[in-house]
Amino acid sequence: MIEAKGLRIAAVSYDSQETLRHFAEKYRIRIALLSDRDSAVIRSFGILNTNIAPSLRAHGVPHPVEYLIAPDGLVLRKYFVANYQHRVAASSVVLREFGVVGAEAPFVNLQSGALTIVIGLSTATAFAGQEIAFFAKFALEPGWHIYGAPLPEGQTATSVTFDGPAIMRQSFELPEATPTRVDLFGETVPVHSGSFQGLGSLLLKFPLDDGRIILAGRVSFQQCSDNVCEAPEMIPFELPLTLEPFMVAPRSK
Amino acid sequence: MAYDIPEDLQEKAAIMREFGRLRAAGQPVPEELQTKHVNATNDRYATGPEPGECIPDFSLPDQEGVLRSVANLAGPNGLLLVFYRSADW
Repeated sequence: MIEAKGLRIAAVSYDSQETLRHFAEKYRIRIALLSDRDSAVIRSFGILNTNIAPSLRAHGVPHPVEYLIAPDGLVLRKYFVANYQHRVAASSVVLREFGVVGAEAPFVNLQSGALTIVIGLSTATAFAGQEIAFFAKFALEPGWHIYGAPLPEGQTATSVTFDGPAIMRQSFELPEATPTRVDLFGETVPVHSGSFQGLGSLLLKFPLDDGRIILAGRVSFQQCSDNVCEAPEMIPFELPLTLEPFMVAPRSK
Repeated sequence: MAYDIPEDLQEKAAIMREFGRLRAAGQPVPEELQTKHVNATNDRYATGPEPGECIPDFSLPDQEGVLRSVANLAGPNGLLLVFYRSADW
C-alpha cells in the first residue's frame, strides 16, 4: 500500500549483504535491505548507539529511527520512540501521511442517535513493541454536534480510549473544535459538527506473545442539537489484531 | 525507573551481557535488570537529521549487492528510510 502512494521503503542495518540476502529470501522481502557493514552511514546520520562496548555483538547498531525523505534528500518527517524496544509501524506512517490503512485492517461501525462513528486500526498485523495508529471518523446529522475539550463541568468531551494489557501508551487527537455559543448552556464551548476524523496512536508493549488479540476500546461523547442534549454516552468496541512472531535470519556460515 | 546510568561502557556491557545470557537461556529477566538494560541501551538517544534538513549522502549495497542511494531508492513521493538493529538477532 505504501508503494501505491509513490513511496518506497528501505531499511539500513549493520548486517552483511549475505545475512540480508538470506533474510530477504526466507521472508520474501522485496524492499531494499541496505548493508552498512562498518556502520559508517549510521555514524554519518549521528545515530550510532554509543552505549555498546566494542566487545559486544551489538556494537555498531543505530538508535532506531525512521525518516520520511523527499526524493531530493530533504527530511519531511522523522519517527522514533525513544526506547530501543519500540518502533513506529510503517502502517502508522501511511495512515498519518495519506489517510490510508492496510489491506484487511479491522474497523467497526458504531451508531447512536444522530452520530455514526467508524473506528479502525492502521493494520491487521503488528509486532510487539510497534506503535500502530488508529482513526475515528465521526459523522453527525445536520443540526447536531458533539464536544471538544476543555468543557465546563458536567459535560462530556469526545474521546477514544483503548484498554488492556497489550497497550503501553496511547494518544488520540481530534481536529480543532469550533468555539460555538450554545444557548442551552448559555456558554461558548468547543464543538464538532458535520464529518471529521481523529487520529490516534497505540504503542504496543514489548515483549508480547504472538497470536490474535482483541483490543478493547470505548468512545465517549455527548450529542446535542440546538435545543436537545442527550445524556453522555460511552460505546465499547473491539478490534482484532494479530501479533506476528519475530523474524530472525537463518544462520549463514 | 530511578537508576543511575553508568558512564562507563564496561559497566553497561556487564548489564547487557547478563541480560543476553538470561534471554539466551530462556530464563526470566528480573525487572530491575530489564530496567537497567533498557536505560543503559537508550542512554543519549540520538535521532539524527531534523525535518527540514537534508540527510547525509550515502551509497550502500542492498541484499543483492547493488549499490543504492536515495536517487535510485526513492519513489516519486519519496522514501521511508528505516534504521533498525539487525536482521540477524
